[in-house]
Parts: sequence; C-alpha cells; structure tokens
Amino acid sequence: MNLKEVPLLNEQLKKCVRCGRCRTVCPVLAEIKNETVAPRGHIFMVQALRDGKVKPDAQVYDRLSNCLLCETCSGVCPSGLDIPELNEYARSYIYEKNPSMIKDALFDSIWTRPSLLRAGGFFMWAANKSGLQGFARTLGLTKLLPGGLSKAEQIMHDPVMRTARATLPVINPPRGNKKFRVGYFLGCGTDLFSPSVAIAAVEVLTSWGCEVVIPDNMKCCGLPHIANGKISTAQDLAIHNLKVFNDLELDYIITDCGSCSSAISEKRLKMLLENQGYDEQIERFCSRVHDLNTFLLDIVGIDNQGLKPLNLKVTYHDPCHLAKAQGIRQAPRDILGLIPGLELIEMQDSDRCCGASGTFSITHYDLSMKILNRKMKTIADTGADVIATCCPSCTLQLKHGSNLHYNNTPVQHPVELLALAAGQES
Amino acid sequence: MERNAMKEHLKKMLGADQVLTEDLDLLYYSYDSSFLTKLQMSAPDTVVLPRSTEEVQKIMQFAYENRIPLTPRGAGTGETGGSAPMSGGIVMDLSSWDDIVEVDAANMQVTVRPGVIHSELNDHLAGFNLFFPPDPGSSKMCTIGGMVANNASGLRAVKYGCTEQYILGLEVVLPDGRVITTGGMKSKAIKNVSGLNITKLFVGSEGILGVITQVRLRLFPKPKGRGIVMAVFSELDDAPRAVLEVYRAGILPSGIEILDSSAIKAVNEFKPHINLPDAEAILLFEVDGNPPSVEWEGTTIVEIVSKFAQTVEWATEPDRMAALWEGRSVTAAAATRVRADGSRIFAGEDISVPLSGVADALRKIRALGKKHGIQVVNYGHIGDGNVHTAPIIDPENPEEVERALKLVDDIHLLAIELNGSTTGEHGVGAVRREYARLEHGDAVDMMQAVKNALDPHKIMNPGKVF
Repeated sequence: MNLKEVPLLNEQLKKCVRCGRCRTVCPVLAEIKNETVAPRGHIFMVQALRDGKVKPDAQVYDRLSNCLLCETCSGVCPSGLDIPELNEYARSYIYEKNPSMIKDALFDSIWTRPSLLRAGGFFMWAANKSGLQGFARTLGLTKLLPGGLSKAEQIMHDPVMRTARATLPVINPPRGNKKFRVGYFLGCGTDLFSPSVAIAAVEVLTSWGCEVVIPDNMKCCGLPHIANGKISTAQDLAIHNLKVFNDLELDYIITDCGSCSSAISEKRLKMLLENQGYDEQIERFCSRVHDLNTFLLDIVGIDNQGLKPLNLKVTYHDPCHLAKAQGIRQAPRDILGLIPGLELIEMQDSDRCCGASGTFSITHYDLSMKILNRKMKTIADTGADVIATCCPSCTLQLKHGSNLHYNNTPVQHPVELLALAAGQES
Repeated sequence: MERNAMKEHLKKMLGADQVLTEDLDLLYYSYDSSFLTKLQMSAPDTVVLPRSTEEVQKIMQFAYENRIPLTPRGAGTGETGGSAPMSGGIVMDLSSWDDIVEVDAANMQVTVRPGVIHSELNDHLAGFNLFFPPDPGSSKMCTIGGMVANNASGLRAVKYGCTEQYILGLEVVLPDGRVITTGGMKSKAIKNVSGLNITKLFVGSEGILGVITQVRLRLFPKPKGRGIVMAVFSELDDAPRAVLEVYRAGILPSGIEILDSSAIKAVNEFKPHINLPDAEAILLFEVDGNPPSVEWEGTTIVEIVSKFAQTVEWATEPDRMAALWEGRSVTAAAATRVRADGSRIFAGEDISVPLSGVADALRKIRALGKKHGIQVVNYGHIGDGNVHTAPIIDPENPEEVERALKLVDDIHLLAIELNGSTTGEHGVGAVRREYARLEHGDAVDMMQAVKNALDPHKIMNPGKVF
C-alpha cells in the first residue's frame, strides 16, 4: 500500500484544521488526558506518516492503536473527516512493513475460516467447563499469556458450547405463509459468544413469516482485520461475502450486530474496495442489507400482538457502530417499547463507548476497563434488571463489567427480550 | 542542561506518568490550530502534565535555574501558534488539571483550575442558574486557562465583553517559581480597586509572564429568554448602518453576527437546503434577558432594521431560532468544506476594525482575495467590529500557500490602516508578533520592560507576542 495513493487520505488529510473539537468527545482522551491520543493527533500522525516525517514502525502503530475507532470524533468533526478510517489505513500501511507471524496466523488463517474459529470457541468452552481455565488461573499460568491477554482472557468468562451455526440449520423455514426470504449475516461475535441472539432472531423472523437463510460459507465481516492492520484480508473477505450473498436469491439481508452492519454498509464497502470494480456488486448487496431492529419494524412491521408482559427494568446501551456510524438509535428502543410491562430507563450518555471495540479490550485491557467503569457507573444509576444492546462485542464487555461491578446483571439483545415476550423459552 | 538529564530529572520530580519524553510523543505538541504550525513542525524536548500548584512551582524553578524555555498550553485550540514551542524546551500541558474547585453561588463566583473546558463549566453552572458569559466559538474544546491567557471572547462580546471583565483573581506561578495571588489574597469581593491591577497584566499575556494555575471568575445570572432577528441586505453598507441605529435606540443585543456574500455563497454550496437568500449581507441579532424585554427588544430591532433590509424575521420559538441561526452555525464548517480539494486555513483570521469601518474592511478583504487569487469567506462579530476571514486554499500546494501568506499579510496591514487591530480575540502568538511595533509603537518597549522584570531569563514562551 502506498499511502500517497489512497484517495481517502489525499482528500481528507488536508481538511483537518486541528481545531480540537474531537478532543472533548474522545473516550480514550478522557482517560489518558494528553494529546498523543487525541483524534486530531492521530490525523497529524497519519499525515506525518504519509509525508515520510515518521517511520512506519511499531512505535507509530502503538500510538495509532490508542483509538477505539468508535466514530465519536467523526460525528462532531466540522471538517467531516472519517477519522477512524484514516487511522485504519495507516495501521495497515505500517503492518505491511512490519508483519507478524502470530497476527497473520490469527487474522489470515483462523479468522478467515469459520470452522477454525468455532473450534477455538469450543476449546474455550471446554477449558472453562473442565475447570482448566480456573485451574490455570489458580496456578497463575494465564499470567504467562503475552501482552494484555493474561487479563483479557477474563472477558471470556462464560464461553458457550454450541455456536449459533452449530445450532441453527442453513435454511430456517417460515411459520405460516412466507413473506420474505432473508439472508442472515451471522457475525463471528454472535456466532461464538452470543448464539442465543441468533436463535432469538431466527425465532422472531420465522414466526413473522420470514424464511431465514444462514449461508454456511459466509465469513467474517472484516472489521477486526481492518482494526488490526489487515485491510487486504478484509478486502478478500468482503469480496467473498459479496459473492456468497449475491449468488443467493434473497429479498433482504439482515444482521443483529451493529459492527457487522456498519462493516457491510455501502459507505464502508465502497471505501474498502474503492476503484476495484465492485461498485455494482456492492450496490446490489447493500440495497438489501438492514439492521435487524429496523428490518423488524420497518419491513416486517411487527407489533405487540401476542406478547406477554415482561416486568423488567431495562436500560439500553447504544453500540458505537450502530448509533454513531449508522445513526440507528431509535429502532432498538422501539423494539423494547413493544414489550408490555417492560420499562426502559435511559442511562446517562447511552452512546458513550463501553471500551470494548472488538479486539481493543484484549489489546488494551487496562485502558478498556477504565472506559468500561464509567459506563457501568451510569448503568448502575438506572437500577436496571437487564442491560440491552445490539453488539456482541459490547455484550461481552458489559457482561464482564456486570460480573465485576454489578451483580451479574444480564446483558441481552432487544430481540432476545422480544422472543422471550413472544414465548420463546429462555 | 543536557536533554536526557532534563527528562530524567522531570520524571523523578513528577513521576513517569506525568512526563512525556519519547520523541514520537513530543511531536504531538508541535501544533495548535494555526496554519503556521501546519507549515513548520517545532517539537518540545519534553512535555509535563502538572496537576498541582506545587508541581508547577517545582517545574518552573527547575526551568528557571537551568534556563530552559517553557511553553504553557491548554487544549491547544488556539489559532496563533501561541502554545507551540518555538525554541524546544518544556511544554506544560495544563489541560488535564480540570477541577472546578468551588462554585460560590452566594457570591456569584467560581474558582477553577486552568484545564476546565468552557462549555463544561457552563453546563455545571447551569445547575446554579449562573453562567460565565464570554462565548468563544471553541467553547466545547477550549480551556479556561487558555481563555484567560488569550483574553478570549466570542459571539456575545457585544453585550458581555471579554474574559478580562470576569476575572476577579488569579493564582500565578512566576518564572522563578514564586506563587502570587492577584485580586486579593483572601478576597471574595466583586468590586476591588486595591493596588495595581496585576490581574489584568496576566490576562491576555499569552504565557509570556507566568503560568496561571487558578482562576476566580465572576458569574452572571443565566438569562431566561432569548430571541433572534435575521435581516437580509442588498447593500453591504446598510448592514453596519442598521447595527448603529439599533445601538442608538438604546438596545444592546447579546450578539450581532454578519455573513457577507462570500459566506452566504459558501453556506449555500455546503448545505443547499439552508437556502440563504442571495444577498450582500445577512445580519443575525441575538437578544437575551427577561422574556418581556426580549420581546420588546426583538420587535424594536425589526422595526429599525426594516428601514434598511430586504427582509427581516423575528423568532423566539426554539426550532425557528435554530433554523435562522443555522447559516451562521455552519459557516465555519462550510468554509472548510466548500472546496473539495482544499480547506480553510487559520491565518489572518481575526482582525478587528472600528464599527464604522466594517463594510469597508469586508469589501477590501474580498478585493485582496481577488488580487491574490484566493477565495475568502468572511463572517464575524459585526457588533464589535471583529471580522473572521477564512482563506480557502489547497494547503498542500506550495504556490497557493505562498499567495495565501501574502494575502494574510495584506489583511493584517489593512486592519492597522483602518485604525483597527490585527487581532480581536484570538491573540498574537507567533503569527502576528511582526506587527507589534507597527501597531503599538514605543509601547512595545514598555511591554518588553514588564517582561524583563518578571522573566529576566526569557524562559517563558519565547518567540511570542512581540
């Protein structure tokens, strides 16, 4: 990659006037409190990198990685910069010049193969249930893990045995008359860590007349790769997934995960595959993509008929990639609002990042926990019985926070609560 | 002192988490919002992040004894290179020291540390029905310390004035490490003429005399009502005439903003839905206070301005006020985005001219833009003669940059020629110091004498102001 030839960089870098508006909204800056983590600082560094004023080395990569890619800064930038995307290009540029075998193995060999990912998930479950994980912690063996992994492995405190793909068939027939044939873009996070969300989504969709197809050959949306300097792998994944879904006869494509829906949005895909001749395929694919919440409300037109009351106080956390990257804030709340007896209590700053941001909570565990602590305080203030959110990464993080600070309060997707109200066994 | 030894000493003094020494980290402290710091990268030798007066004191004593240049810095949102180190040394980042020490509602004052963000302070004070009136465009990111150091103001300076009018007292660490409290050691008084006014010496001193470590601010009761008048003019000269007539009627709006034809064009290109009328100028009057007086002032302004303007509209309903204000609120962003392959730059952006000279200044700036082949967008606070000019260039095109710098020089000289000032509210910093003698004559010698008395080793923020 030549940074000087990336159109996004050439268009946008000159537009940063370093006004500093991004400083006051950045969750990382709120903790680290110096300019090296300011979003405009990242833009400054990307520019210095492009212009050859700094070397593309691990030190620059480390500085650029002090960013959640949460899009909060882009939302307030008067110059309209796509700050995280600029950062991502720079990370990939540096990574290409400083490749790592371990990272290549993880992101190219494992994270591009769903079967291997599922095997990894099963290993985590087995380690947990057999007592191996606890035993290793007691012996202090987890402390031998590299970097922040020794602490971050605690986030995976409750792995699941059967992934969503292992539980759900490829074709899930509708109940009653078929309204739509819907492709389910089942992300890795939901598949591995929150299969109950996928099961609930399929339950609700099929009961409302949707035939749900979960292609067994689809792969990761590529967002973890983009965040970790592997844009070229993300491009391969995107091209693969475009073909998989465009080859199927589908009326719509849905995803329950805010990060996936952001990664497979038209803006993102066109940026990722710019000038590579995929625009037509992207448009065909993206014209059918919907977030699960908005799909249920706007296309399927679900209502509260037949829902039993759930006497719960629920607070909703806005995932960054759903709320800030896509502006979807109301639909999840409206889904919750359908459920009789459910009381939605808004937390303060519901769209403040929880600190998860995919792999950030693993690579920057201590910092991530500081960001999470602020979130958990605002959640505790609501006195909610359930925390709702629409992102498996946020869900893992909030479960970890809930486990640490808040009596293991459950964290659920709105569609899980909807399915529960519709009579699905919990 | 040897560079590494300095770093090690500071780390021992403050702890490693409050000192940045890696070369890469230091680069982040080479810039503010000025165009100057986009053109040249001048990094410090180390960055310190003190969070107590004692820490600042120790750092200053160390810098003083070792003759190390020291540049204080808030959020780095200035537009003059004021917080960028021109001679290396230490940058003192005060933005993380952001405690609101005490809200003294009974005495209408608040005491804060320098890193408090302006809008966050006013959000906090709203709970007491109080506010700190100066309202800079950078309210959401600038620090109170930076506002004091630059004597900042903003949209509401017409009625509420500048930061200096609200400073009741300061705690300042002098270059040699001595700590002084201005405005009375224990004073909580609002009126105080005791002694020489040292407070005002430090307000607007841009970090060349000492470091402000605590600020005691006077507060005002928060107004309960607000209204907006929007007036559209086919003749540029009618806009300042209308402003003058409003003043003559005994009305002091809280803000009077102008968009000239260049800004109107930029706003319409950036956000076509706003659809501002094609005109020579648009004025926005903001009035605030008690609802009955707001209503009277608003309707009287409409009556007066109608004599000059093509169209006039008055609104107090929040959505309509926001719609009328939208053109002004997006002007800065429009200036940045109006040219796909370019951007605005912060240079020559803050001249101040007499009220009677505003129309002339706007016309002449546009002519200068044409002369140098540079698009300019003009907007600003016509109520006090403060004109913001945004040159729009491709900052990566050296030839355009060269022309823009000549334009900026001409704009500054124009301000002086029109009996104005090169800066109304942003300060001098590194970018306007060359005009000091032209603007102030021999008074610069007196400034120099004050500086020498307080900072004999010239360690404080070298290369700034004069």
